[in-house]
Parts: sequence; structure tokens; C-alpha cells
Amino acid sequence: MADIALHASGINKYFHDPVTQQILKNITMDVTKGEFVSIVGKSGCGKSTLLYVLSTMDTDYEGEIGINGEIATGKSLNKLAAIRNESIGFVFQFHYLLPDFSCLKNVMIPGLRLGKYSHKELEERAYEKLKMFGVAEQALKTANKLSGGQQQRVAIARALINDPAIIMGDEPTGNLDSKNTGIVFDLFQKLSKEFGQTIITVTHDEDFAKRSDRIIEMADGQITDHGR
Amino acid sequence: MKISVNTEIAITYLTSRKKQTFVASMGVMFGISMFIFMQSLMKGTNDYFEKSSFNSTPHIRLYSENKVADTHMLNSFLKDSSTKILTNPKQLTQSQGLTDPYGIIRLINRDPRVLYVTPQVTANVIYTSGSVQITGTVAGVNIVQEDKMFDVQGNMISGDLHDLDRVNNGLLIGKGIADKLSLHVGDNITVNGGSGSTQIMRVIGIYASGVKQVDETKSYANIVQAQNIMGKDRSYVTDIKINLKDYMAADVVARKLEMLTGYKAEDWVAANEQLKTAFKIRAIILNSVIGVILLVAGFGIYNILNMTIYEKMKEIAILKAIGFSGGSVTSIFLQQAIYIGLTGGIIGIIFGFLMSFGLSHVYIGSNTPMGTLKYFPMSFYLPHYIEAIIFGVLTTVAAGYFPARKAAKVDPVNIIRG
Repeated sequence: MADIALHASGINKYFHDPVTQQILKNITMDVTKGEFVSIVGKSGCGKSTLLYVLSTMDTDYEGEIGINGEIATGKSLNKLAAIRNESIGFVFQFHYLLPDFSCLKNVMIPGLRLGKYSHKELEERAYEKLKMFGVAEQALKTANKLSGGQQQRVAIARALINDPAIIMGDEPTGNLDSKNTGIVFDLFQKLSKEFGQTIITVTHDEDFAKRSDRIIEMADGQITDHGR
Repeated sequence: MKISVNTEIAITYLTSRKKQTFVASMGVMFGISMFIFMQSLMKGTNDYFEKSSFNSTPHIRLYSENKVADTHMLNSFLKDSSTKILTNPKQLTQSQGLTDPYGIIRLINRDPRVLYVTPQVTANVIYTSGSVQITGTVAGVNIVQEDKMFDVQGNMISGDLHDLDRVNNGLLIGKGIADKLSLHVGDNITVNGGSGSTQIMRVIGIYASGVKQVDETKSYANIVQAQNIMGKDRSYVTDIKINLKDYMAADVVARKLEMLTGYKAEDWVAANEQLKTAFKIRAIILNSVIGVILLVAGFGIYNILNMTIYEKMKEIAILKAIGFSGGSVTSIFLQQAIYIGLTGGIIGIIFGFLMSFGLSHVYIGSNTPMGTLKYFPMSFYLPHYIEAIIFGVLTTVAAGYFPARKAAKVDPVNIIRG
């Protein structure tokens, strides 16, 4: 089991507003280390909800989740925040950069929180990441001065600063044109192939999904196809 | 120096919204500077009144008070110790004079806390000049010692107070008496001590203490002269006035002197009860005004932080998503409140000092009821400044705590998913 990056078993989740409704029904899944997985399904099938449960941000569920062999279910909120900080990188549909900070600072903030590297080392690492994504020239601009594609690339750089074991994407290309989608996809692929990082994305984009290692299909809160 | 990431974020938030930060700091600044300004004015005024009360009141006054007869006296008279019952005890008729006053003075002088001791003969008299008569008192004093204790020289309008020792039958009269009887230095005045002897005295000086009641009734004479007016011998002394090195100890020393001498020792606090009450009332008024100002400043900070948190809801969610705990988020927003409090507090202290300093140089004239007051009495008292900073930071922390808690409770999933 050493090569399992993420493990979920018997996940049930309910929404209570306006009426109680089961969103996730007995979901059990494994993601191997270095795998690039896409979760697809119609709107409302619960795929985003599943991602947020897997991300440890949503704690209102039944079942058990393990990240890197460590059980996350039932941990305190502070402990979960520390797990997210160290082991999970997020890319959202919107970039969600902090507008008051420069791009470089935005990328550095999760690293500063973790405190593993010194300020100077972090700055170098952040520059490297930005260079890797071709946005190093924008490093000192504030986030809202960048184009949508550039912002998303900075956001991905931020997700990677702590070298997380798992990168989660909630429609990471949902707001991007095809050119930028291509760039982001290539980056993800490079991360999983070259750096052995696990990638789990929820997407509507069929082309994007098809090119990933595995597609998990969902319908009505259940996994209909594990893709293997 | 290593700054924590929370601090870095807090400072960035503050500096990227300079106007709001400025307004919030100004609120605190205003509260703190008013606090300092009003505290300085109040303490200055209180100190002034306290000091001016020592211009006429000694720290302790020892005098003979009429007593009610008790069995203790009877025992010491009969020289036995049997139990006696007094029915319907009466007031004892006692001489106004103290027994062996110079012995008592020597005794008092032995106490190391005592600075000055001086005897006084108080005589109730009627002043007559021409056909006008007014009542008043003559204080028979040792004028050199009196001057040391009460700065008589500082109140002199005309004449030389040392003439009391040099001129036979000299009298130093208050400005009110001089005005009423139309007297000048060198004029004669008739003084009647009530026990039959009428003395013609010479005005050697006029003083104005600033207290109208005193200036219209009291005059100084040589102690021997006062004894003459009363028709008493040279050992007749009605009061012993005592000044201490530390006037705050008056209470304790007074109790000890009462025990030692058996006479009534009144300390300045008891003699100026109304002054203390005025101090207290002023303190209450002042503190409520400052409280309201700080409360308003606190609400200002609360509002601004609350608004900031609503605006930054998404960013807070993101911070939590990338691994900031609730505690870190609280710290980020609480630190903003503290920095607002500190900047506002420090500027407020400087501003408060400048206001106090400015007012202490405003001339309000010497012709006030208090006589010698020329400038606003301001005190520059370090603990006020320390208190101000503590109050300022406490207010802002209290105001910042609730919004910060709210920020910590933001649920990232709800916000990010919309």
C-alpha cells in the first residue's frame, strides 16, 4: 500500500438544505502515487463535492480518508490545515490569488506558512516555479495586473511551492482558452511524469480528461467507472 | 529579524488600504491624545489646588478641642481605678490655650518626618478704623517660620513682612481689610481682642492670598502682640502648625500626635474635605468622557475590520485552503487591530503631549480668584502616558477580537464553491 497517495472508503455525504439529500453514496477509491486522474460527470453528480471531501477542507462526511497513508478523518481543523499546507496543492477554477500581494509573494505564502525553507531559499524556489511556467517577468506585479492565463499559472506555481504529494484541481482550465488549457495540461503531465506528483482534477473538458492517465466517471453521487 | 508570515500579511493588508488604516488610527489617536490632555489638565489643576490649599492650611494643625467629661479623667483625678458611672456628662470648659506648648513643640520636633513646627495664637478681634468696624482674626505668628511654611512673601502686595518683628504693634493685613477700611501701609488701625484691651496697631504690610474670605478677615501680628491683644501671658498658644517632609503621611503622623499630646490633630485632608470630593467628581467626569471617546474609537476599528473581513472573505477562504489554521487567521486580523492601536496610540501620545505643552504656555492672567495662577496648570506625569498606551491597545484588541474570531470561522468550502 506504500504507493497509494490517496485512499477513500465508504464516503457518504448529505446536504441538509433545503431538504436532506444524499450527494455522495458509498464512494470507495484509491489513487496511486504519480497518477494523473480526472473525475468527470454531469453537473450536480457530486464530483466537486467529492473533491472537497478528499481535500480535507470539507469535514462533514461519513467514511474514512487517508492521505499518504495517514488517516485524515477525525483530525482537528488545525491538524488538517497543516496537512493541506504540506501535502496538498490546490488549483481552482478561479485563480484566487491575493490581490494585495505580488505574484512572487503569492507563491511564497504557503511556503512561509510551512516554514521549511528560509525566506531567501523560498524566494529562489518561487522564482524557479514562475520561470517554469513562463511568468517570471510578472513576478513583482500584483496579481490583478496579469491576464487570466498568467494568473492561473501563478496559482499553479503557488500550489507547487511546498512540493505537495497531491495536487487537486477543481476545473483548473474552466476559465481558460484552448491555448492556455494546453499549457496547463502539459504542466500537469510534466509534474506527474517527471516529478511523480499525484494529480486529481475535476473537469468538464473531455479532451483534457481523455489525455490524463485515468478517468473516473461519476453519476448521481456514485462512481460508475473507475477507469481501470 | 524574522517576521512571521501572519505579521507580513497583516502589515500588507494595512498598507494596501492606507486611507482606512489612517482613519482607524486617527480614531485611536484622538482618544489617546484627549486622554493625556485631560489627565494632564486634571492632575495639574488638582495639584495646583492641593498646593494652594497648603498656602493657608498646614499639613497638620494641633489645637485644643472641647472635650466631654469621661470616667478616665475622674480616675486620674481621684488616682484610683474603681469603676465609675457618669450620668449626663457635660462639656469641659477648657482654656483655648495648649498646656506647655513649647514642650509639645520640642516633642514634635523629635519626629524625623516633621519639617517645620510653629506656634500660633489665634485671636478673634474687631478691627476699627474711623467709624467702620469689621470682625476678623489676628494670627500671632513667628513670621519667619510662617513665611517658610506658607510663602507669605509671595502674597505680599506692599510693605515688608519682616517689619512684624521690627515695628512695635505692627500688623500685616489682608487686602480685603485694607479695601474695606481704606488703609495703606503706615496707617493706624484699632484692634479689639474682646477681653477688654484695645490696641492701636500700625499697618506694616498688605497681602492677598487669593482666598477672599481670608483676605477680608485675617491679619498677621507678632506672636507676643497677639498674646497682648488676648490679654494672656507669654506661654499662651492656641495652635501648633506642622509641615511634614511628605504631606501624604499627614494622616499617620496626626494620629500619632493625638496619642502623644492628647490634643486634636487635624490633617490637611480632613481640613479640605470639599477639595477631595471635588477631585473625585472631576475624576469621574473625566474618566467617563475618555471612556466614551475610546469606545467610539473602538467601534470604529470594529467596523473597519468587520468590513475588511467581508471584503476579504474569499482571500480568507484561500488562506485556509492553502493551510492557514483558524488561529493564524485570527492572528492576522488581530495583529491589524494591534498595529492600528499602537500607531494611533503613539501618535496620540505625541499629540497629547503637544496639546498639554501648548496649553501650559497659555497665559490666563494673574488676576484670577486664585491669585497667583498665571498659566494653565498642566502636569506631565509619566504614568498617564503609559496608561494611555495600555488603554489604547486594550481597546483595539477588544474591538479587533470579535471580527478576527469571525474570520477564523470562515468555512473555505462554502466560500470557494460559492
